[in-house]
Amino acid sequence: MDYGRAALADRLAAAYAAGTLRGPARRRFEALLPAHPALREATRIWQERLMPLTAALPPETPPARVWQRIEARIDGASPNAAPVSRTPIASRLAFWRGLAAFASIAALSLAVLVATPSAVQPPIIVVLSSTAPGAGGATPASFVASISGDGRAVVTRPLTQVALQPDRVLELWAAAGAGAPRSLGLISASGASVVRKAALPPGTDHLAVSLEPSGGSPTGAPTGPVLYVGKLTL
Amino acid sequence: MKRPVIPTPAAEWNERSVDLARLLGRIGLGDRAAFATLYERTSPHLFAVVLRIQRDRAQAEDILQEVYVNVWRAATGFDAARSQPLTWLTSIARNRAIDSLRRSRSRPQTQGSSAFDSAADAEDDSVYDTVADSAPGPLDLLSQASDARELSACMEHLSAQQRQSLALAFYQGLSHAEVAEQMREPLGSVKSWVRRALLSLKDCLQRAVQRDQTSVRSA
Repeated sequence: MDYGRAALADRLAAAYAAGTLRGPARRRFEALLPAHPALREATRIWQERLMPLTAALPPETPPARVWQRIEARIDGASPNAAPVSRTPIASRLAFWRGLAAFASIAALSLAVLVATPSAVQPPIIVVLSSTAPGAGGATPASFVASISGDGRAVVTRPLTQVALQPDRVLELWAAAGAGAPRSLGLISASGASVVRKAALPPGTDHLAVSLEPSGGSPTGAPTGPVLYVGKLTL
Repeated sequence: MKRPVIPTPAAEWNERSVDLARLLGRIGLGDRAAFATLYERTSPHLFAVVLRIQRDRAQAEDILQEVYVNVWRAATGFDAARSQPLTWLTSIARNRAIDSLRRSRSRPQTQGSSAFDSAADAEDDSVYDTVADSAPGPLDLLSQASDARELSACMEHLSAQQRQSLALAFYQGLSHAEVAEQMREPLGSVKSWVRRALLSLKDCLQRAVQRDQTSVRSA
């Protein structure tokens, strides 16, 4: 981008963030954003500059009906968990158990593309299922992994209780086809883990969790049994 | 008229951001409790932002609802490494509010020039009116916001006209033409005031950042 275009991008981004870019010009600008990283970056910088100005506004608590409508929109189910009171642990567990049940019923290795309206690559959600069949032959879904759109972060969370011996840990692996799995790091058996990488190995089509001695696999390849596997399907 | 100064330093903006980034990460995984907490902590701010621009409370509530439904669906698109959560959320809310003005204000024009015009004009005038007396005016807000050290120093470089036109455009969501009407100044002047105010803030904030970096190096 030559200087003239960079200056134009900066001017448009400033007007957009300040709110003075209006009408068709604003809509054109928004339509250009997804395909133009330089424009997006200029916009982000201007928003960082100007948005702190809004900190001067006296807060206005919205009426309770707004939250009720939001809850009704994001799930048709019974709205509970009023934002004023902390959601009790029990109901949070119930939520995850509910999700686990849904996951087992719907499909076992399913990937859901979460649509985002922005230009950002949508994340991929992978449900990892137990490799050992449970009661009735159904394989319970046990972990959910969310891969950021750029592949640089994976967040995992157990769906069911995973009991581990104190000298054992869980390690997350990325596998591409028949190639050797690459370690993404250790993950927690009881809570969320964030695994950051430069990028997922190219061609990754499976995620797997293996049982390893504390400290993780000493060899760089899974040494213990693979407990959970999930397929990335788009 | 003297108004109490609300302490709103940029430091607090940054502090709140750390917690909010964590919440957004959890919301990206479908954590409803985290979403409820995020709503509880940020909705009074976003509602204030929206109400400044869209004065119709029912419409402002609808916008707020849209914003959070959008956040619930798109939380994974938030990039904590690049953006401040509060900046991200506030930008979404402002954009929605400005879009709603486009729709409601264009209505009178599509009715054509007829006997309805005077009624439509009266309606429009109420939109351009300054905020109710109890609320701080845009200029008060600008001076309160500039509690942050750099922003405050930078604001002082602006002329009175630059400051007023920027405040009207930014807080009230007024277009250049609307700012011109409110200030009773030519459109061309208003455009150039807003433009120069933004450029001046940019240069000034950049110099402040450079100074900070230099002082860190020499320390």
